[in-house]
Amino acid sequence: MLALQLTLTGLQAGALYALTAVGFSLIFGSTRVFHFAHGATFTLAAYLFYAVEAAGYGFVPGLITSFAGAIIFGLAIDWFIYRPIQRDEGSFFTVFVASFGIGIVVQNLIGIIFGRSFVTITSPLTRSRELLEGVYVAPLAGIAFVVALVCLGALGIFLRSTFTGKGLRALSDDPELVRVFGLSPRRLSAAAFVIGSALVVPSAIFTSMSTGLNPAIGHHIMLISLAATIVGGIGSIPGTMIAAFIFGLAENLSLLWFEPQWSEAVVFAILFAAIIARPSGLVAKSAAH
Amino acid sequence: MNYFRNFSAAAAVVALATPAAAEDITIGGLFPFSGTNAVYGDVLSSGAKLAVKHINADKMLSGTLSIAYEDTQALPQPAVVAMQKLVSVLEVPFTLTSFTGVSKAIAPIGARNEVVMINGGGVGPDLAELGEYFWNVIPLANLEVRASVPYVVEALGKTKFALIYVDDPLGGSIRNELEGVLEEIGGDLVSEMSIAPTAQQFSGLAAKVRSSGADAVYIASYGAQQVQIAKQLRDNGVDAQMISYSAYGVPDAMNLPENEGAIFTAQAVTLEASDPVTKRFVEDYKAEFGKDPAPYNVNYYNATMLFAILAQALEAEGKEITGANLLAKRKEMGSFDLVGGNVSFLDNGTLLFPIDVKQIEGGAARTLTTVDIK
Repeated sequence: MLALQLTLTGLQAGALYALTAVGFSLIFGSTRVFHFAHGATFTLAAYLFYAVEAAGYGFVPGLITSFAGAIIFGLAIDWFIYRPIQRDEGSFFTVFVASFGIGIVVQNLIGIIFGRSFVTITSPLTRSRELLEGVYVAPLAGIAFVVALVCLGALGIFLRSTFTGKGLRALSDDPELVRVFGLSPRRLSAAAFVIGSALVVPSAIFTSMSTGLNPAIGHHIMLISLAATIVGGIGSIPGTMIAAFIFGLAENLSLLWFEPQWSEAVVFAILFAAIIARPSGLVAKSAAH
Repeated sequence: MNYFRNFSAAAAVVALATPAAAEDITIGGLFPFSGTNAVYGDVLSSGAKLAVKHINADKMLSGTLSIAYEDTQALPQPAVVAMQKLVSVLEVPFTLTSFTGVSKAIAPIGARNEVVMINGGGVGPDLAELGEYFWNVIPLANLEVRASVPYVVEALGKTKFALIYVDDPLGGSIRNELEGVLEEIGGDLVSEMSIAPTAQQFSGLAAKVRSSGADAVYIASYGAQQVQIAKQLRDNGVDAQMISYSAYGVPDAMNLPENEGAIFTAQAVTLEASDPVTKRFVEDYKAEFGKDPAPYNVNYYNATMLFAILAQALEAEGKEITGANLLAKRKEMGSFDLVGGNVSFLDNGTLLFPIDVKQIEGGAARTLTTVDIK
């Protein structure tokens, strides 16, 4: 029963990781920007939802504010931070350091604005019910899992069926070719930031309700996203999604054999093993695209 | 150019003609102001800020006292950098410190440079053994476990314990103490789980606690993590009695609805005492911060006030305020009038207080019993 319980909690965690990791992978795969501030987008989205909800405006206004905040933040970083750096020298590492710095600044600003305390949204949806003897599942876990699958499915359809989606998949390969086909790499880059930033919102909201928030919460989820992107295959959306679910399951099922303090180490052990065994990632990029 | 030269000369004359002002005095303050334990930064420093206000208002020292705060993030590595700055650049003789891992990391630097370090927040039992320049104004965790666990076993009849402890010196020492105490009083440690200090997901952990059959769960963590553990345990169907130590005495833990009924310990301080030091502290703290003081606020007020008492005595004798002189003066004076009454240090530099076993009820802490620890 413990194994079944841990599998269910692993799937829930994997669903939340997948949404954030896929957003990061989409941005990195399309634009080649190592958007470490994606963790800051996650934190910002979660706190905006919390602020609106705690002020008594309810779920839907909180959801809209969270989406708007995440998208505006993602676009603003692309326009006002990454592009000027890329225009001047285009160094990958300069962009990375800027992105890392943004994450720290946002974390501190959130601490100043919302306080450094732990905050959470109390909801009956987070209270587990006993499904089978010894197996507890919260309604929120099921909702999170379904929402993640719907969002990821919709993203897959968008990338395969729309002109913009196909452009996003082509962008990292050859921006010039994209231009020849009448698409603007800048607009596509903006689209990648919009979609990638929006994808963190469901995960951020579910996290604010289930585990609570503090200004540093984005750091852990960013590490998992990064690992999932590498294990899944850089730029590979299906690969990243599969890797995120593997990490969520591994983190939880490892408790059957190891102390909880090793659960994060298990994730990175998988990362190392995957890099050695399959450096191109679980799903090769050509297949991913 | 002439104007600049004339202005400089005039400024130099004025500076030389002005009587030398008493030298201002700076001490250090090593607290977390960012990271997952940032909530403690404000909680721990507020008592010290009030003490500085009182010390300067009373002109206890020849110069103005100030605290150079450094952000440790409650992590050893940034704390060592901060301590080096305090010792080498600011040359402080005395610093406030917090958190077990941080305090253990900075202790060799302080001892080497003869800087007094005083802890009012970390509770790892090892903190009693960091040398004579390291003082504690808080009972350490081993004493807290000896107060709460027998109460839970004997008064509440809970005998099967699960322990969730953070993998650092504090968590390890609580595990050792808990094992010993349960063995003595006939309880069982049915499950023990160590967690990384950065972990945030505990639903899997809750499943393990449930499957262990524990009727009490001791949480040996701190900061946002301890509250996340409590919430996720309750959300995931764990209804065992939750127990923790003095780190639970923060608003985050008190205000969490899932923590209703949780038991924690803290040193007993009689805030209703009629002595002028305690009365002034309580009244001014309420006026300044709009709420009742908690034990952490008392500790850092006392720690800062202790520096002023010692430094004042040194100045009266015409001695320099150095770490070595502060240590010698503390040993010479023996006891001090601080918030909570007249207190004395043990030989190992730790203040001994009775311990309150408290329960969270409606967002506040109610004292269940007070235990005298020997």
